[in-house]
Amino acid sequence: MEKYLYIALFAPLVSSLFSALFTAQKKKQFVGVIASLLIFTAFASSTVLLVHILNGGEPIHVTLMTWMATGGLNIPFGFVVDEVSVVMMMVVTLVSTVVHIYSNGYMDHDKSFNRFFAWLSAFVFSMMVLVMSDNYAGLFIGWEGVGLCSWGLIGFWYNKESATWAANEAFIMNRIADLGMLIGLFLVYWNTGTLQYEEAFAAFPGLDHATLVWIGIFLFIGAMGKSAQFPLHTWLADAMEGPTPVSALIHAATMVTAGVYLVIRSHPLYDLIPNVGLFIASLGAFVAIFAASMALVNRDMKRIIAYSTLSQLGYMFAAAGLGAYWVALFHLMAHAFFKALLFLGAGNVMHAMHDELDPFKMGALKEKMKWTWIMMTIASFALAGVFPLAGFYSKDAILEVGFVEHHYIIYTVLLVTAGLTAFYSFRLVALIFHGEDRYTLFGIHPHEAYKFMLWAMSPLLILAIIAGAFQHTFFELVEEALNAVHYHIHSHVTLWIMIIGTQAFVLASIFYAYKKYARKGIKVPDGTSETEQSFLYKLLYNQYYIPYFYDEYFVKPYRELSSIFWKKVDLKVVDATVDGIAKVLYSTGSATRGMQSGNLSTMLRWMVVGLVVLLMIAVAVGLAARYSAELSQFLAGLGV
Amino acid sequence: MLEPVNVSLESLNLMTLAPMLIPIVGALLILVVDLFKSNIDKSLYVMLSILFLFTDFMALAGSSSAFMQNGTLLGLFDVMLVDGLAIVSQFIIVVASMLFIPLALTSKRFHEFSYPEFFALFLFMIAGFQFMVATDNLILIFVGLETASLSLYTLIAMHNREKSFEAAVKYFTMGALAAGFYSFGSMIFYAVTGSVEINQIATVLVANGFSDIGFVMVGFAFILASFAFKLSLVPFHTWAPDVYEGSSAAMAGYMSIVPKIAAFIVAMRFFEFLIHSGLVWVEAILYVFVVVTMTAANLWALVQTDVKRMLAYSSISHAGFAMAAVMIGTTQANTALLLYWVLFTFTNLGSFSMLWISRQKKMLPGQNSDHSYEKFAGLVQSSPMAATIMALFMLSLAGVPPFALFWGKMYLISAAVTSGYTVLALIMALNSAIAGYYYLKLIVYMFMKDPVDSRYEKVIGSNLSLSLKTIIGIAAVGTIFAFIAVDPLLQAIGGFVYNSGY
Repeated sequence: MEKYLYIALFAPLVSSLFSALFTAQKKKQFVGVIASLLIFTAFASSTVLLVHILNGGEPIHVTLMTWMATGGLNIPFGFVVDEVSVVMMMVVTLVSTVVHIYSNGYMDHDKSFNRFFAWLSAFVFSMMVLVMSDNYAGLFIGWEGVGLCSWGLIGFWYNKESATWAANEAFIMNRIADLGMLIGLFLVYWNTGTLQYEEAFAAFPGLDHATLVWIGIFLFIGAMGKSAQFPLHTWLADAMEGPTPVSALIHAATMVTAGVYLVIRSHPLYDLIPNVGLFIASLGAFVAIFAASMALVNRDMKRIIAYSTLSQLGYMFAAAGLGAYWVALFHLMAHAFFKALLFLGAGNVMHAMHDELDPFKMGALKEKMKWTWIMMTIASFALAGVFPLAGFYSKDAILEVGFVEHHYIIYTVLLVTAGLTAFYSFRLVALIFHGEDRYTLFGIHPHEAYKFMLWAMSPLLILAIIAGAFQHTFFELVEEALNAVHYHIHSHVTLWIMIIGTQAFVLASIFYAYKKYARKGIKVPDGTSETEQSFLYKLLYNQYYIPYFYDEYFVKPYRELSSIFWKKVDLKVVDATVDGIAKVLYSTGSATRGMQSGNLSTMLRWMVVGLVVLLMIAVAVGLAARYSAELSQFLAGLGV
Repeated sequence: MLEPVNVSLESLNLMTLAPMLIPIVGALLILVVDLFKSNIDKSLYVMLSILFLFTDFMALAGSSSAFMQNGTLLGLFDVMLVDGLAIVSQFIIVVASMLFIPLALTSKRFHEFSYPEFFALFLFMIAGFQFMVATDNLILIFVGLETASLSLYTLIAMHNREKSFEAAVKYFTMGALAAGFYSFGSMIFYAVTGSVEINQIATVLVANGFSDIGFVMVGFAFILASFAFKLSLVPFHTWAPDVYEGSSAAMAGYMSIVPKIAAFIVAMRFFEFLIHSGLVWVEAILYVFVVVTMTAANLWALVQTDVKRMLAYSSISHAGFAMAAVMIGTTQANTALLLYWVLFTFTNLGSFSMLWISRQKKMLPGQNSDHSYEKFAGLVQSSPMAATIMALFMLSLAGVPPFALFWGKMYLISAAVTSGYTVLALIMALNSAIAGYYYLKLIVYMFMKDPVDSRYEKVIGSNLSLSLKTIIGIAAVGTIFAFIAVDPLLQAIGGFVYNSGY
């Protein structure tokens, strides 16, 4: 079994290195094909491992080599395939395979085709390291690795100013959170003396409560950065500057869920500190409704989906924070499928519309792009949580958790959010695919995507439909690893009221969205209508003015401060000191180079001078040794 | 009546002589070949030299396996001493020579290589160096030293330029003075102890508790002066820049490596027993030499306008750096010195070869020196590959990780720290920082300035041929991938040094 672990881990690395060989060259189709095949190999190996674990096999644990062994610190490169990591591996490799194949079509005309695959596969490798590591140090390496690859892929079109800006924003925002994460890791190591999961978890119950709370908080700060939770959420929407397959893989299905994974992985810690858990859950619920509200009015197709991702991550944190780790993981998995599908569908639309992102300029695309329409509709149904699609099972479970645990406020917030989700999802579908054609006005001739791209998306489509059926298998799989319990609502009547009520609410939202946006006569908003003038609309459209606030109160003062430090401190103090030292050295060199006159007599003289000095020392030492008795007598006479 | 002398051939252990005899035979063969047929193409002689050097290498491998089994070998009335130091240093000498000799196959014709004597002298010189390191007899060291030096003077002069003659004469005159110093020093030690073998001298001196400390110090002063000349320690270094400038770049690179390793080995054999006997003054004097050499040479290198002269001063500084290891004298330090020199061989030979490929037969009007910084300005625009490789060597010389010399510097400085020479380690680190300036200066010229004169473009690489490319390639690979080789090298060298008792 170990060999499958190595294949799953290293096939993406090989793929990345192979593609990297051709980065400076013109597009080579075989690069994309081979990269896709290698990622598929990783997927196949993960499947073998999943079957092994499902059949009750022991978790596989390997130690590749010792990475660091100094003093009391011993960090091996260890990897583990257990119930939790195998689920993550399946999600990562499956979505990666789909995205790799899809990218062959999507990046078809891009001149940096080869470079794209090098980065994309490097991302998959980093993500595999992140989820497979058996210690926090390895997790952190993967964590930084995905951060780096995300930077490279968001800024993939580096000659676009906005893309590089977004890439830097994502990277810097994550750095801030990573500091928290690092402090968390230091605290773990400081207090338990190890970074291995098993040993650290065994040591946690022996620590005092305050320490655990701090560890929990700092680790969660790291998770907040990677999963873009409030207030570090702004980068995710801006990250949509990257190519759409990247958004599907990194900013929907995998990387952004790393924070959730971290909380799930550290569940023995969060079990000990329910207060922090409650905070996580509350923040999650807040982010869910906060992000959903921004998605209501946004006019950028990809940003809407990004806000929806943010909102769904909030759901996951809400579940994880309440201790329902298996529910969070299940929603993570289901969400990965339908959200990646949604993004890839959006990619098709973008391609068809020549990178136009405003859904108001589309409309009636369902005739031209039938399959994309079907896929996006089903994905949206799944996202909205309509029975019997994947999202129904996972989201419903989260709502039940809130209800059963008696956190009614969280429950209510999440319920309202479910309605908002349904509304903005179908607002998007309605604007893109229904109503009347508004794109001819802009001279666009849409066409359906390549066949193989649609085929590549089909596994996601199927999983978005049927993933809910695996809920029971999934529960049994992770039952032991995550101390999973069923959340049953005891009264049948309450249960049915809840389910039917939720479904009715969601369907009503969908119906309303259709009614409002699928009708004829929709105009491209120009900022004059009454809604657009309203305060609420402006507040939501400008993302609660948070980016503006950050710019005004963090970025600008920081730049001001940097400029002061540069001009006053660096130039006047540091540079001047360094230059001064250099000048002294330089002039010493110039002043003494006269020694090198090139005159043979002078040169011989220098040699003799050297010898004479040596001889004088020698004679002095010799005399001093010979007459040491007299000398000490003499010195004693002088009173020394 | 004199007793008939009876010596069994086995006790002579003639195998200890084999590595030195091979290049001598090679040199004689080259002369004989020339006697029968003159005007043969130089490539034959290059190949013959490589062949004999390779045989020499194999003989050394034989000695080293014998050393591994039986420990130090003595031979020829105990004059020859084949210990770990001798073997490692001979390996360095032979390998560096094998890397040097193909540099003769340039695309332009140069005067010296048309003489077979050049190659014969070259092989004689190698034999001389090998004798120097494989004995602790002061007389044989002297013979080896003079054989090698006299050959070297001639090799320099054969470059056939006014500056070369000047350099050779200067080097010869100063070398003669240094040889005088050496023989005076030896004489004094012989007078004091009645022996010319270093280990005997040590035994006698330790036995009588250095009662004649004054004479010992005088002898030490003479010997130090002569080796300071060979190692170009300040103020005995004055020959180095002129001689480097006068000789061909390839020869200059060679001179910065091979003669010095031979001198280092002798210095180790001679000075370390003095230091270990607790002569504080010896240590103090060496300390001053080390610090002054490193620092002063660095400061002079800063103000040079010619790359070759800059490299000459930097080689002086590197020698001072390595001399610190002799002064520290622990096994770790000696190992570090040899490692440093192996890595330095690749890097420095590479950087001088890069100058060699741009050698002009005639200087352009308005050009003051062969390899001025201006010549390399904007090199990246005309030949990015050459600029990158040159930059690589410069970064390695500056000690930037992970290139070769970084490891050498690191081990040397750590040897200083573990032996308690913290201040020295600090001075070494500071000097590395200063050195960074003039190495990076060349990189700045190559990558950030615009070409000064378009005529230089044609000059760079004009001397390039396949064999030069190969040598530069080997040097570059050695420099880049040093990080893989460092650990095994350190193990091997450490074993040799430790088992020789140094």
